[in-house]
Amino acid sequence: MNHTKFARFFRRTFLPLVVGVVLVASTNVWAGTTHRIGVDGLACPFCAYGVEKQLMSIPGVKSVKVTVKSGTVIVTMQDGAKLSRGRAGQAVKDAGFSMRSFK
Amino acid sequence: MMLIKQTTIICALGIMFTVAADAAPISTNTALPVAKGEYVFREQIIFNQSGDDPSTLDRDHQVSVSASVLGYGVMPDLALFGVLPIVYKRLELPTAGVTRQAGGVGDARIFARYTLFQQDAPGQTFRIAPFLGVELPTGENTKRDALGRLPMSVQPGSGSWDPFGGVILTYQTRDFEIDMLASYQANTEASNFEFGDVARLDGSLQYRLWPRELSEDTSAFVYGVTEFNLIHQEKNQVLNVSNPNSGGTTVFGLIGLQYVNKRQIFEVALQAPLVQDLNGTALERDYILRGSVRVNF
Repeated sequence: MNHTKFARFFRRTFLPLVVGVVLVASTNVWAGTTHRIGVDGLACPFCAYGVEKQLMSIPGVKSVKVTVKSGTVIVTMQDGAKLSRGRAGQAVKDAGFSMRSFK
Repeated sequence: MMLIKQTTIICALGIMFTVAADAAPISTNTALPVAKGEYVFREQIIFNQSGDDPSTLDRDHQVSVSASVLGYGVMPDLALFGVLPIVYKRLELPTAGVTRQAGGVGDARIFARYTLFQQDAPGQTFRIAPFLGVELPTGENTKRDALGRLPMSVQPGSGSWDPFGGVILTYQTRDFEIDMLASYQANTEASNFEFGDVARLDGSLQYRLWPRELSEDTSAFVYGVTEFNLIHQEKNQVLNVSNPNSGGTTVFGLIGLQYVNKRQIFEVALQAPLVQDLNGTALERDYILRGSVRVNF
């Protein structure tokens, strides 16, 4: 491979490949993960605030959205942060409710 | 003055159990949780009008109360509550041309509520929570005016330490909530006067009027509220002698409207006696107006 061919390969194939790999990797590793938590006993908006506040107090939690209709909570984590099932369950319990599911 | 002393309204009932700081009932309490480490505050304005006088005195009695309630979640199962009322009481005796009135801090209440049983399911919960507390003698009970010492129905406080307790049952779904409460308050003596003990049975139904259908974005409810309060009070005692014109049994009905969102509850209600079986010439209640705001923080 002469110098011109190498430069063309580098520019057209290798560089985009590396950039693509880096982008994909960064998406998987650094983007905040999202959890869907099922909460039993949750039946009105006023009570939902307790669940939201308890989950928001967990380090690394970026946002919490409580849906009364389905009794579910969507928790989005900050980049690189993780939420364990046990920690989520404790937060729901501290709010006075029961965790049904954790995904 | 004897005529004035015969005014034996159940003055404590106006603010009893106006302590619910959680979502739900207006004139009684609920077993719904206060999250651990969180506070719930409620400010309630209550206006009591009593003017149906079975005696010939044509008495008219008004009690206005601003009750501040603070609830704190010690644990998911245990919540502490404090109630501090500011009261203004006015008694008119038109036949004698006399008006007597007093205002100030009323008797504060503190109590603990423990969730003994909790059954949660998707979109519904059933809880049983006993509670125990005491009414503190923070209100003055020896106020005087130009005519002398005011009658107890006008004094801001009772002067006595009054323990109380009971149990609350709550069943809540996304569509409605039912609360039942049974309680007893043992009133004690202070300054030679003792209010009769009070036994209560309260029920509350809140039904979601709006929105009719829930969506993923629903963040507020409007409830229609209907409640009843069966209240029995023993006769008051003055110098260990029962006052025949005091105590009795009353059944109140209440209708109200409640707006509930994530952080606040706004509510108004009208409460009126459905049945009054009072002793002697005890003054009968006309109506009670209630307005309240609760804040989650």
